Amino acid sequence: MNYASRRTTELGLLVLGSMFVVGAYLLASLPDDSPIPTKVGPFLGITVGLPLAAHVAMRRLAPQADGMLLPLASLLNGLGYVFIVRLDEARDAPRGLAGLQSLWMILGVGAFVVTLMVVRDARKLERYRYTAGLVGLVLLLMPLLPGLGQVIHGSRIWVSIGPVNFQPGEFAKLALAVFFAGYLIEKRELLAINRAFGPFSLPDPKHLGPVLIAWAVALVVMVSQRDLGSSLLFFTLFLVLLWVATERASYLVVGILLFSGGAYFAYQSFGHVRERVELWGGFWALIGPAGEKITQIDQAAFAMADGAWAGRGLGLGTPTNIPVVESDFIYAAIVEELGLFGGAAVLIAFLLMIGAGLRIAQQAASGFERLLATGLTTLLGFQAFIIMAGVVRLLPLTGVTLPFISYGGSSLLANYVLLALLLRISDDIANRQSAQLAAHQLTEVV
Amino acid sequence: MSKQIRNLGVFLVCCYTALFLQVNRLTVFQAKELQNDPRNNRQVVRDFSRPRGTIETVDGVVLAQSVESDDRFKLQRVYPTKDLFAHVTGFFAFQLGSAGVEKTYNDALAGRTLNFSLKELGDLFVDRERVGNVTLSLRNDVQEVAREELAGRNGSVVALDPRNGEILALYSNPSYDPNVLANHDFTAAAAASDELNNNPEKPTRARTYMERKPPGSTFKIVTATAGIEHGGVTADSPSYPVQSEYRAASFGQPIGNFGGGSCGGTLFVILQESCNTAFAQMGVENATALGLTASASDFGFNASVPIDLPGGVRSVWPTDKVANDPPVLAQSSIGQNEVSATPLQMALVAAAVANGGKIMVPHVMREVRDGQQDVVDRFDPEVWTTAMTPDTAELLRQAMISVVTDGTARNLDNGLDGNIVVGGKTGTAQIGNEDSSHAWIIGFAGPEGEPPTVAVAVIVEAQPGVSEQTGGAVAAPIAAAVLKQALTAPARPDAGATATNSSG
Repeated sequence: MNYASRRTTELGLLVLGSMFVVGAYLLASLPDDSPIPTKVGPFLGITVGLPLAAHVAMRRLAPQADGMLLPLASLLNGLGYVFIVRLDEARDAPRGLAGLQSLWMILGVGAFVVTLMVVRDARKLERYRYTAGLVGLVLLLMPLLPGLGQVIHGSRIWVSIGPVNFQPGEFAKLALAVFFAGYLIEKRELLAINRAFGPFSLPDPKHLGPVLIAWAVALVVMVSQRDLGSSLLFFTLFLVLLWVATERASYLVVGILLFSGGAYFAYQSFGHVRERVELWGGFWALIGPAGEKITQIDQAAFAMADGAWAGRGLGLGTPTNIPVVESDFIYAAIVEELGLFGGAAVLIAFLLMIGAGLRIAQQAASGFERLLATGLTTLLGFQAFIIMAGVVRLLPLTGVTLPFISYGGSSLLANYVLLALLLRISDDIANRQSAQLAAHQLTEVV
Repeated sequence: MSKQIRNLGVFLVCCYTALFLQVNRLTVFQAKELQNDPRNNRQVVRDFSRPRGTIETVDGVVLAQSVESDDRFKLQRVYPTKDLFAHVTGFFAFQLGSAGVEKTYNDALAGRTLNFSLKELGDLFVDRERVGNVTLSLRNDVQEVAREELAGRNGSVVALDPRNGEILALYSNPSYDPNVLANHDFTAAAAASDELNNNPEKPTRARTYMERKPPGSTFKIVTATAGIEHGGVTADSPSYPVQSEYRAASFGQPIGNFGGGSCGGTLFVILQESCNTAFAQMGVENATALGLTASASDFGFNASVPIDLPGGVRSVWPTDKVANDPPVLAQSSIGQNEVSATPLQMALVAAAVANGGKIMVPHVMREVRDGQQDVVDRFDPEVWTTAMTPDTAELLRQAMISVVTDGTARNLDNGLDGNIVVGGKTGTAQIGNEDSSHAWIIGFAGPEGEPPTVAVAVIVEAQPGVSEQTGGAVAAPIAAAVLKQALTAPARPDAGATATNSSG
């Protein structure tokens, strides 16, 4: 395989994606009453310059890595940015989210480059698995610390240190992916031992310890932070990796039963969990003119119904009817203004990223890298799925961000690091194959 | 591991497929349902912020238009004629919804009907907002006369063209100013709405077609129709006995004449004198319950009048109660007991006689034009119901003309030219046992030798005194003034089709 041509493909795709994003921005600024000022200079810097900078870094730091992931991420990020600008400026009192988001995008691409620079070989991460596990756990539980944790919009998932607010959960999931991958590769033989219980073949109860610990932590997060999304995502990550590592589907069954049971228990026993669940229709229920309740979910459905096939057109809808639309509900705004076609395009972009991620997982040479790539792809694909499924009323709403698209610094930074790790693993595969090929040719010559 | 990773991929593809299907449902299959959700005001907000066509009378007076405003909706709906056409135009308000023509022709005003969509295709690259301007068949001058003549008394005036159903005037007191409800200061609009709704006189209700009252003797036209068509009554026979009291059965209240007088005779005579005993007898003995019920429903009683305005009520003929109860049938035959009718319905009764028995679908919309004055929609006249045969209609037309020349409706041709033929029927409907009554008149007019061009119904509610003269004295002069105005040519020459120049 000629890995060198991957960068050319990447550049071509990046240019295509940037053209789309620039076109979208210009369209959104065209209507007479468009909320968007045509500040093209800084905009081009963000939507064209940043991806190109990332591309140049790729050429130097991971020249043989997959060529589709970065253009797809840039496309989604650029689309999200156009929507955030459009949504914020449409408000009576814009909160300057556009400016902040461009800052987060710069930091995100920065984190992407730094990760590629620091992590030169993904296999070396395996050594730090327990450190990563500890860091992950601390980050996950950090919002519970008095003085640090902040309750925003009903969930205790924020941490304030000085002037900086961030969601440590977004970074915890990365550290935990490293930990799970390393730990499970180490223990997979042991964990894979099944014992027969009558007609069933179940894991030995002795080895269920890690499952129980992960389960307990997930429940603690759910109950104490009122964060169903992170709790679900974290537990799913663990279960998927456990299943892939041990090749024992019985873990999936046991895990799902445990989680459902725990969630039901929490629902029954803790008032605030119940309250949160009952607000699954959305935290911001508005009261309509006749005193009826209009939830965020309803507003999102109304918005999407307005979108129909081709959408109302960029800048022509009224997505700001949906409270905090720029984070959890941004997908509804996209469907309203770009229609079924635009919504499907976003789904396809995520599917392509999942496909690229799992392909990397299949090809990775070491078990650790395979598991890590699987875990990172699961995080990306599953997080995008549960929030979009919540917005379109397929699943109960769990407040997590839509990767690369939603507003938010923590989420964007974490996802760019995730992308860098996947690309690093991809580059490793190519390096190793090239090395093998070279060795082979050498032998032949000799 | 490979197998598991592949299965994970398959699982995620399934998840995303489910997402895709669900987005299809929301944007396409459930879209109509979601857009019609009463809690969904997106369409209203959109309509509110976009240009909206004007509503005009046929003689060119603007009743509703959108002017620029500096608030978040950019456009404010204003009603320059205030209370005069409030019950016709209705209002277009954000939280209070809409009413009247603003509601019925919302899609046309917003430029959203199929015709507009087709035109829009051709306008793909032209920056042009499609709106529909609705021209009503109503005439500002006739409407003004109606308001002037009612002079603040509670009541209604309906005038229409019996030949095609075009409404010429539709006014009732009390009315209201739609501007206060269309106010973008929603608190003020809500307060104004509450005040109007709490007013016992219900100014927002159009009494012309949303309220019904006992029609009294004007209903005798229906009874006469039933007598002729189902009971063998002719101009010459039977001759009803001259009496002061009629008993339909050994039980129940007898029917008396106003002021205790005696009357009787053949059809023309009893109609001219509005003889209660004779019509009660005709109802019970000639028309019978079956015949009257058939005729009443042929006139449109117990059915919704298909007028292009929302919220109308049906007029009532008590089919079940009259079936086996001659005293009730006797009272119903003279438009009392539980018979009740809207002024619009009674105007249609007169229109049926004037138009050879056929009642045309009444309507206020004449045509819809786009911004370039091209007509995109026009109301095509159609028959709503056939009330009687042409022969019956001709007989009753003659009879009603004789009521004006020789009977209780003498005031109906006040001020009208000699070559105008006028027919009518008065009514006085006693309110319970009080010493007050609703004064009614229905009638038609037109140039001699031609089918009548205007039908009218007037009610002045709760007038002091109970006598057969009330309707002729109170209501007839109003109707005469309205007829006179409606028979003059309207101010705009291109609208001449509905009226005939009587002086010419």
